[in-house]
Amino acid sequence: MQELVLNQPVSTARSELVREAAQADARREFEERLAECGQLAFRVARAVLRNTADAEDVAQEALLRAYQSFERLRDRSRFNGWLVRISFRLALDRLRSAKRRDRREALWSQPAHLPPPATVEDVAASKQFQGHLERALEELPEKLRLVLLLSAMEGHTIDEIASMVGVPLGTVKSRIFIARKKLAEKLRCYANTIRTR
Amino acid sequence: MLCEHYKDALIEAAASGAAPSGELREHLAECASCRAVFGQEQSLFAAIDTGLHAAANAKIPLSLLPRVRARLEEVATPRLGWVQQLVFACTGVVLALVIFLMARPHRAAREELAKQGPVTVPASMPPAKSVNREETSSEGTQIAAIPVNRSHTLRDSTSSPSAASSNPEVLVPPDEREAFARLVGVLNERSDLGASLLAKVPEKEDGLAAVDPLQIPDIEIKPLEGTETETSHGAGEKH
Ligand SMILES: [Zn+2]
Repeated sequence: MQELVLNQPVSTARSELVREAAQADARREFEERLAECGQLAFRVARAVLRNTADAEDVAQEALLRAYQSFERLRDRSRFNGWLVRISFRLALDRLRSAKRRDRREALWSQPAHLPPPATVEDVAASKQFQGHLERALEELPEKLRLVLLLSAMEGHTIDEIASMVGVPLGTVKSRIFIARKKLAEKLRCYANTIRTR
Repeated sequence: MLCEHYKDALIEAAASGAAPSGELREHLAECASCRAVFGQEQSLFAAIDTGLHAAANAKIPLSLLPRVRARLEEVATPRLGWVQQLVFACTGVVLALVIFLMARPHRAAREELAKQGPVTVPASMPPAKSVNREETSSEGTQIAAIPVNRSHTLRDSTSSPSAASSNPEVLVPPDEREAFARLVGVLNERSDLGASLLAKVPEKEDGLAAVDPLQIPDIEIKPLEGTETETSHGAGEKH
């Protein structure tokens, strides 16, 4: 009886130590992946937000959440997929709240969005087209947008994208194709600005 | 002017990035207008791909990873603190248990003595005479059950009423003490009564070693209170 009473806290402490060791392991592994994961999270966020500072905040938040779930998500492809989705979701949320804020501010300062002064014509055209593209990208349905961005990102094959997003390979290919056509439809009217590119 | 019939096929071909084939290729070879449009579409898709690449491959800021590492440190530290607190709490509980378990045998022994006391009561209880039977039996308990060291317990009980009420073997409340003093008074006056009263105690409790030390000779009976009631009984026996 006495031994039983005394053994309980000892076993609790032991399991606590085991848990601590597992946490330390997870943390070491997470830090080893951090450079790669950090880039992935940041790029997804940056593509959505088009703003480096905001994207950095979102990537940090996504990475912390990913770390907190890391023990359950040891499988690399699953982990990357999870990170991509949480980064995308957080970026979209931030973009929506930023848009609401911009609309409020626009009421108070009307002539806000002046185009940047063009020094060289093609640079201006290029920047202009990039702006149109990114706005068109923003208007794409989310599932098309995420796949298209991942396909444009360096270092990810179509197979990896399928695994990250959790859809079949054929679905990824068709989503990319449809997304590019939709962008082309929106950007065709600006086609004159790409003649210098 | 684009020939409407080839419009969709032309866009599909430009979007896929593959070279036009079959009927479209033949038409493009003949139709300069469609060739021009096809060229524009190819440029458009190339521009889209370039723009997408730029949008999707932004350079990661140098500050991001250090910031994340710092936050990881913050997240990890409170967890360790919590673990340490738990370990300290467990240690405290274990110590408390050890102290409790070590203290328990003493209490158990005292409780055992307390149980022995009441058991001896009916045996030691003399037939009632002119004195209140319950008072007598209660004192009888003390006398019969208390061996050499019990006198000490009795003294404790008189100085601490609360302790006395919780432990039956040391019950000597003031009114009982007074009653006992009266009994002693009566016994002093009538020594034959005292002798007959106490003579039966050793007979009925012959199995108890506690009785023998009480037969102390050469002590005078004095109507004193508290601890000396014991000695007066012993003297009463001698009478
Ligand atoms: Zn034609």
